[in-house]
Amino acid sequence: MEPSSVDRPQLIKDARGKRPSFHQTDGIDSLQAMVMVLASELTVLRDRLDAAERVAKGEGLDLAAGIEKLELDEEALKTREAWRQGFMERLFYLARKESGEESRNESREGYTRVIDDIATN
Amino acid sequence: MLNCFQQSHHGMLPQTTHDEASRQEFAKSLKGFIQAQLLPGLQPVYEKRAASQFERETGRAPENRQDIRKAMVGDPYFQLYASINRIAQELLWEATNVSIERQLPALIEKARNYSAAATTTLDIPADFVPPRYVTALDIHCMPGGYCSEVTADDVAAGALYDRGVYLYTMGYTGPDNDDMGRSVCNYLQRNLPEFKPLRILDMGCTVGHSTLPYREYFPDAEIWGIDVGAPVVRYAHARAEAMGRPVNFAQMNAEETRFEDGYFDLVVSHILLHETSGKAMPRIFKECERLLAPGGIMIHADLPPFDLMDPFTQFILDNETWYNNEPFWGAMRDMDQVALAEQAGFHRSDVQFDNAPMAVMEFSAQAAGYDADSTGEVADREFTAGEFAPGGGWEVLIARKPRHAQEAA
Repeated sequence: MEPSSVDRPQLIKDARGKRPSFHQTDGIDSLQAMVMVLASELTVLRDRLDAAERVAKGEGLDLAAGIEKLELDEEALKTREAWRQGFMERLFYLARKESGEESRNESREGYTRVIDDIATN
Repeated sequence: MLNCFQQSHHGMLPQTTHDEASRQEFAKSLKGFIQAQLLPGLQPVYEKRAASQFERETGRAPENRQDIRKAMVGDPYFQLYASINRIAQELLWEATNVSIERQLPALIEKARNYSAAATTTLDIPADFVPPRYVTALDIHCMPGGYCSEVTADDVAAGALYDRGVYLYTMGYTGPDNDDMGRSVCNYLQRNLPEFKPLRILDMGCTVGHSTLPYREYFPDAEIWGIDVGAPVVRYAHARAEAMGRPVNFAQMNAEETRFEDGYFDLVVSHILLHETSGKAMPRIFKECERLLAPGGIMIHADLPPFDLMDPFTQFILDNETWYNNEPFWGAMRDMDQVALAEQAGFHRSDVQFDNAPMAVMEFSAQAAGYDADSTGEVADREFTAGEFAPGGGWEVLIARKPRHAQEAA
């Protein structure tokens, strides 16, 4: 029987040796690596959908042609648009936060004042 | 060219799930994209803006690879290129590591079974200490390097190298990663058809990918692959058995092997020297000379030394030193290898650099993705720094030991 993942020896994940930085602005290297990991996962999903279409076709179901012919009804259009708007809200959550801070008069100074205040009162 | 090269499966290669394979393909595709689309942009960026900025700031034009590096490190296009290149390297190991960790116990068991059934030797001494030049940094950012073991009889480093190097080379070295060995074998057959080595040593063999062609070309020879990493030679031994091309493997240091004087007729290495050190390299040449029988041949296949290329090309190649954990990559290419061979005891007239054309055309129709057009395109390239493999051929340093003692006098 295969040992469980808990018993399994863990491989070394990171290479020994200081990683160089490439960009002057802190965080950009990290951000770029995250973007590339996401790009990789995007191609994995794309490949998986392609695989699903090919497997289905092998079983006599032409998913790819069906997808092209699919006409979205009112309910489907609404569901998709709601998902897209929700996705964009999540994507731009920091913009939401920033504008909210302005309307609530939240500032860096105010935050420091709260720290000082809570510490002593 | 749409690179659809696929690695051939063998008994020791880890299996992949659909998504693992897809992530690995992405890493390979990204390497290809960088080489084909991002790398060529460095030249105009350097010529049109980085060089002139350097000149404005220093009052002189860049003269050597160090100047060019200074001119380029702050350039946003270079930063993008170098950063994405590094990330591609990290992703290829990461994508491979995951599938190996998932099935490591089964891989170890397979390796034990293959080696137990073998008639060849696997020699891993208990007290071996690997040299610092392979343990100080994990070379080419391979997590754990060649020597780390996370469990008993570990073969993970071997599996990681076998699959990772295929992705790194984007399949250019063939479905079995064996182009370098095959190219040197071809070279010997074409240029020295009378040379029939009876004992062959491959130094720094890692998983024996370059070693196995020698079994094919010289079927009657006694063949040894040695490396400083226990997990890679353990994997190599099992891999050779799985592929039906048995070879002896041992954990040894090429500077100081455990073979007797004059034991081998042919001593080879493939992209080994740049992973050693300034002190180790002369010692390796001396050891080759000691190990060779009279008339025997030493061949080291690697990329060309710096004096054969212009400063911009040197600069591109030297990025490996700075960004890919290859500490000896640049310094090695500045060494006078012909002089080193001479100091090791070879005659200067018996030492030469030559080009061993890539064997990639031979892989046509041998495995998925290897069609005549794409293998031809890989073979027909000119040397371009930053691309994998030196265009159509490997730079080989060849030295022959005199046949008779008086020739050496």
